[in-house]
Amino acid sequence: MSDPIYLDYAATTPVDARVAAAMGECLTRTGVFGNPASQHVFGRRARARVEAARAQVASLIGAPAAQIIWTSGATESNNLAILGTARAARARFAGRHQPHIVTSRTEHKAVLDPCRRLEQDGVLVNYLSPDALGIIDPQQVREAIGEDTVLVSLMHANNEIGVLQDIDAIGACCRERGVPLHVDAAQSAGKVPIDLSNAPVDLLSLTAHKLYGPKGIGALYVSPQRRAELQPLMFGGGQERGLRSGTLAVHQIVGFGLACELCADARLEESRRVAALRARLWDGLRSIDGTLLNGHPTQRVAGILNVSFPGVEGESLVAGLTELALSTSSACNADSDEASYVLRALGRDTQTAQSSLRFSLGRFSVDADVDQAVAAVRREVARLRAVAP
Amino acid sequence: MNEPGQTPDPDLAADADPLAPQIRALFAALDHAGELPGASAGPGRVVRGEAGREALGTRVCFALRLLEGRIAVARFRAYGCPHTLATCEWLARRLEGHSVAGGALEAPGVGNPLEWSERLGLPGAKLGRLLVIEDALRAALAQA
Repeated sequence: MSDPIYLDYAATTPVDARVAAAMGECLTRTGVFGNPASQHVFGRRARARVEAARAQVASLIGAPAAQIIWTSGATESNNLAILGTARAARARFAGRHQPHIVTSRTEHKAVLDPCRRLEQDGVLVNYLSPDALGIIDPQQVREAIGEDTVLVSLMHANNEIGVLQDIDAIGACCRERGVPLHVDAAQSAGKVPIDLSNAPVDLLSLTAHKLYGPKGIGALYVSPQRRAELQPLMFGGGQERGLRSGTLAVHQIVGFGLACELCADARLEESRRVAALRARLWDGLRSIDGTLLNGHPTQRVAGILNVSFPGVEGESLVAGLTELALSTSSACNADSDEASYVLRALGRDTQTAQSSLRFSLGRFSVDADVDQAVAAVRREVARLRAVAP
Repeated sequence: MNEPGQTPDPDLAADADPLAPQIRALFAALDHAGELPGASAGPGRVVRGEAGREALGTRVCFALRLLEGRIAVARFRAYGCPHTLATCEWLARRLEGHSVAGGALEAPGVGNPLEWSERLGLPGAKLGRLLVIEDALRAALAQA
């Protein structure tokens, strides 16, 4: 039996073959295997590769290389940004006030869970509600910021519905009040332009495996003005200017750097191609009776399409679509059969939220994949609706 | 079977269908789903029962045609996970021909949700859904 059609690029992407080859050069005795912290030639060679990769990653987001901190992925980057900012604020406040954080109900769990953890310690958190299309109005951010607000954390592209927030406008509100803005860009980096030389962003989370790089490596951009307002979460060797101790994973970093460069080179053409595929997919799916698009129709990344099929249970729908590999909700949440909290936050009722599929297209998706997906979904929706009471 | 000390092939395990073969086969062939043919005009008497709510993830309806003290035809409609649909199909197949005297659920071979779970190899987390199926079936049989 052949593999199903992969339509889950928002969960992860295959490593680009050129990236894998570059990583392989950093592993064995004849390659660049040294510890970048070592002073001998093996270490210096590794350090040179790490710094070249840092420049590649920085270039993708229009930032100085020196502001890139390596992490294990976007989850760690988000934790460092949120917990690290809150810890530093508590130290500054010295018990006189509790820090306050602003975020939204549709963030990834890697943002929501650290926020909930901080609430247990007395930190105050505002969870903004998006409108029915998934958009956070910058005015909501402006109104939520108070005297003790130490961070606004909002994602750029939503991992379930693909909606893009207006980070420039939100950042402008934060700058007015002197509050740092953290952006989780795991789903947008390499897909939409990000230029931190102009954008009012202070902290930005990245991960390699969403852009054809390896799993287990990510980065946090930290603006120089905010460096002092961030405390590390890990201690040990003082690497990454003391913000993230631990021996650097040279092969992962090299892979991440090259993946960023390759994505930047192909971004414009690739985003047009994937957007056309998504339009083809939506044109096919919307002809199925009752189909609902989740999220803003145009303010979104090219590759993600989230659709509800009322009257059809999501788990059964996915189980029937054996020829497709996709998700009922975000992959990080797939073990739960609870309705998507993102779709519930958009005002979808539980049943409609449970009947949703996330299609995510990428570099290896083609027209025939989309056509086959539409035919399969049409078949299964009809079958399950015929069985339903 | 792996020999002692032999590592299982991870690809082989990962490629396995997340649905057990029996569940997959039942889910793929929901032959007893639908309305009873000629429910108003056919022989015997039709009883119906339903339970659950779509908003809670599971809703099940059974329709049974009773003829000479036995379930002649069983049909269901269901909204729910693949395990729910497969279990409804499995039950509908087994119910046909059973006597309703004393309650078909107690008849040999039909059993209760715990037994269904064991016989079909269902995950423990699905037990709540089986209870919805049982409620729907009992509601129908209460009219027998």
